[in-house]
Amino acid sequence: MSTKVPSESRPIAPTPQWLQALLLLVPAGVWLALLLVIPTLLIFELSLVPNIKPGDLVNPSGLGNYWRIFQSDVLNVIGRSLLFATGTTLLCLLMGFPVAYWIALLSPKRWRNLLLLAFVLPLWTSSLLRSYAWISILRPTGVLNTLLTSLGLPTLDLLNRSPAVFIGMTYSLLPYMVLILYASLEKLDRRFLEAAADLGATPPQAFWKVTVPQTLPGIAAGSLLVFITGLGDFINPELLGGTSSMTAARLIYNQFLGATQNWGFGSALSMVLILAVSLAIALLIKYGDKNASSL
Amino acid sequence: MQAPSKSPLRISWQALFSVLMFGFMYLPILVLGFYSFNQSPNSAQWGGFTLSWYVKFFNDSRILSALSDSLTVAFCAVGISAIIGTLMAVGLARYRFPGKQLYQGASYLPLIIPDIAIAVSTLVFLAVIAVPLSLWTIVAAHTVFCLSYVAFVVSTRLVNLNPHLEEAAQDLGATPYQSLVRVLLPELMPAIVSGCLLAFVLSMDDFLIASFTAGGGATTLPMEIFSRIRTSVKPDINALSVVLMVASGAVALIAETIRYRSEKKRLQ
Amino acid sequence: MTSMADLTRLHLSRSRRRFLQTSIAGLSGIALSSCGWTLAKVQTDQVRQGASDELHVYTWSNYVDQELIDAFRSQTGIKVISDVFDSNETMLATFQAGKARTYSIIYPSDYKVSQMVKLGYLSELDHSRLDGLQNILPRFQKSVHDSGNRFSVPVSWGTTGLIYNSEKLTEPPTDWNYLWTHKDKLTRRLTLMDDVREVMGAVLRSLGYSYNSTDLQQIKQAYEKLQELKPAITTFTTDAWRDQLLAGDLSIAMGYSADAVNVINQNPKLKYVIPTSGTSLWSDTMVIPKTAPNPDAAYAWLSFMLQPEVAARVTERLFFATPNQAAFNQLPDTLKNNVTLFPPQNLLDKAETVAPLDKSILELYEKYWTKLTSS
Repeated sequence: MSTKVPSESRPIAPTPQWLQALLLLVPAGVWLALLLVIPTLLIFELSLVPNIKPGDLVNPSGLGNYWRIFQSDVLNVIGRSLLFATGTTLLCLLMGFPVAYWIALLSPKRWRNLLLLAFVLPLWTSSLLRSYAWISILRPTGVLNTLLTSLGLPTLDLLNRSPAVFIGMTYSLLPYMVLILYASLEKLDRRFLEAAADLGATPPQAFWKVTVPQTLPGIAAGSLLVFITGLGDFINPELLGGTSSMTAARLIYNQFLGATQNWGFGSALSMVLILAVSLAIALLIKYGDKNASSL
Repeated sequence: MQAPSKSPLRISWQALFSVLMFGFMYLPILVLGFYSFNQSPNSAQWGGFTLSWYVKFFNDSRILSALSDSLTVAFCAVGISAIIGTLMAVGLARYRFPGKQLYQGASYLPLIIPDIAIAVSTLVFLAVIAVPLSLWTIVAAHTVFCLSYVAFVVSTRLVNLNPHLEEAAQDLGATPYQSLVRVLLPELMPAIVSGCLLAFVLSMDDFLIASFTAGGGATTLPMEIFSRIRTSVKPDINALSVVLMVASGAVALIAETIRYRSEKKRLQ
Repeated sequence: MTSMADLTRLHLSRSRRRFLQTSIAGLSGIALSSCGWTLAKVQTDQVRQGASDELHVYTWSNYVDQELIDAFRSQTGIKVISDVFDSNETMLATFQAGKARTYSIIYPSDYKVSQMVKLGYLSELDHSRLDGLQNILPRFQKSVHDSGNRFSVPVSWGTTGLIYNSEKLTEPPTDWNYLWTHKDKLTRRLTLMDDVREVMGAVLRSLGYSYNSTDLQQIKQAYEKLQELKPAITTFTTDAWRDQLLAGDLSIAMGYSADAVNVINQNPKLKYVIPTSGTSLWSDTMVIPKTAPNPDAAYAWLSFMLQPEVAARVTERLFFATPNQAAFNQLPDTLKNNVTLFPPQNLLDKAETVAPLDKSILELYEKYWTKLTSS
């Protein structure tokens, strides 16, 4: 990321360098410090106060809120969030790879940009309305079941259960996966594939020995993005999930603006979520150093 | 999978699967469109064509005021971000200073931290300093992630920029200010615009951060939509989604055209 | 949009790692150097001045419609902006988070009034500025939660019960226990309210206990009984069942009588039943918070809502029972005799009002509620 600008090659300017630097960096720096860094530190402090509600004195007194996370019901919630995020990542990978492969390598060349744009266009619309559309589709008397009934097939009861959450989350995140896989597949060196074919590799062999290893960084990056976004998703579990879809994000929401007020516990959960996301990234950096040096 | 050297018109299973996936992506949008023209709002049966939901929508003062709140927030947040985010990107690309890693890290945090965590921490912060919540607290909170996105897009452009361009300008006697405004800014403009568009869409779409930082009376469009889905959906929400989709589809097309043109220019 | 791809690439950059190390070190340092401060105290002494011709109202959905807003505006010239909440708990959470300081009128239920009074959030009403308070039925004037209407003006009342589709349920429900005995048939066709006190109260009542039980054993028993029913419940929702019931997605829903009359009006096949083992008798009120930016407009609103004609029209249009005797007298006979809206006395006798609970007991309710919704 960091750009190396050789500072010694800069000519002497009338405005001192440090002043220019301050003018460029201070406004955004102050904004970020005030509304991002300090708030994050604040919720860390708050997470050390058990059972705090607005109006109470903040008096950090230990890790009680963090221990509460290990109670079975909270672990259940965290497990479910991980399940939703992991399942969505796998689904996005399974559904996204063939699409990206087709657009990047098989479709007519002049259409590629247009096809990719068309695929990600739904991303630009309100995510709430997209989830709402899935409610209309999956409802017991919705579009899907009306269609199934008219075809003489048994109806499906998907809404307000985990299948609906998986569908909604996959729908929301699939375009990101396709974008990233496309960027990676587009750079694929076709000569390797041709060479593999010349050496007598069957198409599946060529795919697993050439295409997949070469796009592994893209696969990893796409999966990471989908995973961390899915882990913090609030809207899909809330609107599509019914009674058995409490996720970490929903639980945090409830601690602040919902029925059970406990800002300390909510802060602790938020810290855990931030740590989980950071951990996912750290793991990828560690693992990715071997493979992803090209990135 | 097929080796790509074969005829591009051959129908592969990937092509069929892709068509299916395109259908998956557009199904919800078609369904919303279907309902928006359907006379019977609650059933999946076709009850006759009507434009009455659109008439209702354009007379729905709550939705319209939510739309204007959302636009106010998005324009203000993106406007501020465009300026300070670009300055930050330029500053970070130019200078080395102690704590740069930390600064840079903080500037990218909003891109990775889940929205709910940002929302919670901003609410706690605002509660602690006892700032009365209003529409402007949403603007402040949105500016944080908007400026990250703008800075991010601009800095990817800066990496590809000829570093000697500005130096040449300054060698020719331009002041740093002149070289920034006359030389660097035009070069960065496509990136700034596409960063702003991305930030704008994200700001318009944000539900969590807005609902945590909004004061009473300030209701953004996602908040209003959420409250309607949670309470009782009025069918004009289908009309709203079609209008929004057409509008954002147009914005997306413009954005992509700008990006495509600038990339073509860059490659020449 | 390729920026998205760049974005992910960013995650992999090495600078991140160094950043993470530094920030973790920084975080642990800060945490140790903290001193006490008070979290988000609702500062009732700091009042923001609002525009004098604007009134922000925080209310339940379906309580304030455009017609009411227009009528108020034509009488007083004041513009009303209303926001909605779906439970007393979220209303209070929003208030305490400092998000409710623009509201000059809030609509808490009676039991929340006493809690908000205790917390010092409400301003005492100046009765000389209110006309028509004497029209309120005596039993609402003498409410245990706010005797003499010192802080609140009752605006509506009703019961909690079951609304069902009589075409789908051949055997009509009569009591809460119906949900358990017909669990198999109702599976995934049933919603309960998203309201800890109402749901727990109903289950307590079905077990023969009080709606407001403070007995730890009884509360636990209610939680266990509820857990038994959970697989059958589609969602917990206070409002969204209306569309689903009308569309035929649900067979039965737990809801407020006011909402019931509303949907029955749209589809007469739907029926409302007050469970025989007893239910809650609720009333919603209007209060002026101490933080109200525009108390003059708030008094104008209270007086407006107390006008018998206004209250009667609201009852006819939005179907919530009015506690205003003069307004009741103006209602058409069909509404006066509507047993869903105005249930017979023998059923009311068995109903209880939701009572405020001690902090520790309330936390127990909330703990079980979290457990229930998390599992």
